[in-house]
Amino acid sequence: MLEQQLINGLTLGLIYALIAVGYTMVYGVIQLINFAHGEIYMLGAFFCVTFITAAGLPFYAAILMAILCCMLCGILLDIIAYRPLRKAPRLAALITAIGMSIFLQNVALIIWGSRSRPFPQSALPPFFREKALVIGDVSLTWLQLFIFAVAIIMMIGLYLTINKTRIGTAMRALAQNKTAASLMGINVNYVISFTFALGSAMGAVAGILVSVYYNTLYPTMGYTAGVKAFAAAVLGGIGSVPGAMVGGVVLGVAEALGAGYVSSLYRDGVAYAVMIAVIIFRPSGILGRSVVDKA
Amino acid sequence: MNIGKSLTLLIVAAALTYPLVPQSSDYIIHVMTLAMVYMILAMGLNIVPGFCGLLDLGYVGFYGIGAYTAGLLTIHYDMSFWVIVPLAALNGALWGALLGAPTLRLTGDYFAIVTFGFSELVVLFLTNEIWLTRGPLGLPGIQPITVNLTWLNEAWYFQFYDKTPNFYVVALLVGLVFFIMRRMEDSRLGRAWYAIREDPLAAASCGVNILNYKVIAFAISAAIGAVGGCFYARWSMFLSPDMFKFWESFLVLCMVVLGGLGNIKGALIGAVILVCLGEVLREVLTSFGLPPETRFMAYGLIMVLIMRFKPAGFFPAIASSGRSNPLLLDLQKRLTARNAPKEEPRDAAA
Repeated sequence: MLEQQLINGLTLGLIYALIAVGYTMVYGVIQLINFAHGEIYMLGAFFCVTFITAAGLPFYAAILMAILCCMLCGILLDIIAYRPLRKAPRLAALITAIGMSIFLQNVALIIWGSRSRPFPQSALPPFFREKALVIGDVSLTWLQLFIFAVAIIMMIGLYLTINKTRIGTAMRALAQNKTAASLMGINVNYVISFTFALGSAMGAVAGILVSVYYNTLYPTMGYTAGVKAFAAAVLGGIGSVPGAMVGGVVLGVAEALGAGYVSSLYRDGVAYAVMIAVIIFRPSGILGRSVVDKA
Repeated sequence: MNIGKSLTLLIVAAALTYPLVPQSSDYIIHVMTLAMVYMILAMGLNIVPGFCGLLDLGYVGFYGIGAYTAGLLTIHYDMSFWVIVPLAALNGALWGALLGAPTLRLTGDYFAIVTFGFSELVVLFLTNEIWLTRGPLGLPGIQPITVNLTWLNEAWYFQFYDKTPNFYVVALLVGLVFFIMRRMEDSRLGRAWYAIREDPLAAASCGVNILNYKVIAFAISAAIGAVGGCFYARWSMFLSPDMFKFWESFLVLCMVVLGGLGNIKGALIGAVILVCLGEVLREVLTSFGLPPETRFMAYGLIMVLIMRFKPAGFFPAIASSGRSNPLLLDLQKRLTARNAPKEEPRDAAA
């Protein structure tokens, strides 16, 4: 029982980590809580399903197309909504982010309707539902293994991008000091757009994985997932990419254990409670360094 | 008395006498009552982001606490509305202080997120504690507010009794909250809040106990939110956890920001504009056969546009310029200059 809960929690946690990375990167670079990130996650799932059902693309091609569309959405979101507010007070940018989140959610409600729909099973590779490993009572499906693999590969890819490439170096420089970075010849807006694209791609993958895992998707799914991923980002220390990964996994496991042993009714409450507790007792998070508030 | 002031008084007087006109429409009275509920909420929320400069995304939590307090007390103990109002306000203030005391040390986004988490926890509590709140089924059968009007003659009595006691009760509450807000704004308390908003460091160095004043602000704001909820419970006669989701917090925040942060009259005007806008959008969109979601979509977009072109709202408060007061800034500079070299001579001597 405990082992099964741990595995379920780990699956969920890795997905939270994927979304949390998007929050934390944007926060690190422009100090903005991108509330609309949860909506990008939701759009990822819907784009993928739409490409499968309407365009008839195979599963992996649909994922790729959905990722590209979400990257575009992320970049457009930054250019249209956030870029004009770079020098505005923090409050204005935060309210804009919430406004965009509500806007996108309702656009999705209008386009796809409010009912939740199943993920088209015929498009999925048939081995996903089969059990890969059974030890005693504990079982691990191929789908869970697939989620583990995808999440870990994406995390490693992200780590390498941030630490080993020129654009990654530029991102880190921007997070340290935007003015100094621009004086060194870094194209600030280009790097910020890249950050949004990267975060949106991770979010889109997470959205697709969740909708396959639970076999359901609905236009308001971005809201709760976004909040939980944000909680994960805060838990690990906002602005810190490895922190977001650790935070996501810790939160996923805590949620699975909380639902299993305390009360399944307060499943979502675990995330909020953990987040509040962490912010109060350790505002800089598990792996975060203390940040000076620039408000 | 200038023209603007007399015009305002005229409009207020017209609105207040409207329900007494025999041909008055129930729909318009309903919209006006709703606008006044939001006026109370907007004035209450205005204290925290407007006066203290902290973003509160969980205001609906206190609104919900007030509403359920009123609903449960009415159903189980059959108390008078005027007894329930202070009790609900006290309950709201208690939760405000409990949440505020440990979290108001946080700044900016972190505080916003904690309040957001709190309001989500309130909704979860209302949904899951079925023994108390009946959960998702909601709380029906809350007695409406009764007003003893036997001294009126019969024709007037029926006119009044059918549709208007609620209207005048909420008008009274709006007046009361407005009066309290104006008194606070000009008091020591209000000046301390302004100082904290403009420059916390300078305020602290002038001897303002920042945390205490912030907790007071948060508790008062919560109490006013609870009063709004209290009236809402008795007016709508039905409560459900869905009514207290994050969307309501955002709507009230929109009102405050639209009117102009830190401006009490701005909050009132913002409430009227957004409630009317909601009704107009509903009419227009249904007449075009568009789904109700377009209304929320429009709200989100309007908010983004306002932030883009009028970040300080339509009626910005005088002192709120988005940057620090030059006087306070100068004071801060001098204080840091005085404090900074303290360590140096000691090092040089050693």
